[in-house]
Amino acid sequence: MQNEILFVILALVTIVSSVVMISAHRPIDSALSFIITLISIAALFALVNATFLFVVQIIIYAGAILSLILFIIMFLNIKDDNLPDEKYKNRWLLATSIIITPFSAILIDLILRSDIAVNGVSDEKFGTIKDVGLTLFSEWVLPFELVSILLLVALIGSVTLSKRKD
Amino acid sequence: MLKAYMILSIILFSIGVVGLISRRNIIVIYMSIELLLNAVNLSLIAISADLADSSAQVMSLIIIAIAASEAALFMSLFVVLFRNKGSLDANLFDILGEKNG
Repeated sequence: MQNEILFVILALVTIVSSVVMISAHRPIDSALSFIITLISIAALFALVNATFLFVVQIIIYAGAILSLILFIIMFLNIKDDNLPDEKYKNRWLLATSIIITPFSAILIDLILRSDIAVNGVSDEKFGTIKDVGLTLFSEWVLPFELVSILLLVALIGSVTLSKRKD
Repeated sequence: MLKAYMILSIILFSIGVVGLISRRNIIVIYMSIELLLNAVNLSLIAISADLADSSAQVMSLIIIAIAASEAALFMSLFVVLFRNKGSLDANLFDILGEKNG
């Protein structure tokens, strides 16, 4: 029962802050509300015992990626006339949500009709760093190594992009 | 709980798609893409908790790593594009389409 109440609160916080994120005019506002979204998603991870992913979400997303975004926003020194004026922003948001709503309604209806099992976790070790690490290094070694190549490509790409002379 | 998690993930995904389509500010577009990845992560974690199988958690770890490398590329793109155009409007960024750009 306690978990359900926590879930409802966290879900409301997540939805409200992500709506604020896509509708705020200044990027600093949307970045700050996106931090709230990410932290409440991390709390939702913790609610289903995924403790390692909870830590990773807070360290990497809310810690590294979002502070990088905030750093870039402050570094670029964005004034109001650098922003796109977006006169019809609210109309665009309304029109797009009207278009998207039927698709998500179909998906939600599909989820509600399906008979996916609702077991809940009984195993104590589930989601700990040992469990995830053993799975990562036994069954998922190849994707893990490919991710390292991807990170190297992203590193070289970002250095090359920012060193271009023109 | 699993159904509630899946429904929340669908709602977050739809919010991300709405932001991705309707905004012109490139930083908000980037954060909408991150929101899409997070919605997928949320449903993966819920499924893995329900099946007591940690493969889906490894998948979402890999998704987080991909999001981190995407963040590095996006940030350097923001800096280069902002230096060239002096604006964050996604409609101005068409240098790939110019003939002698």
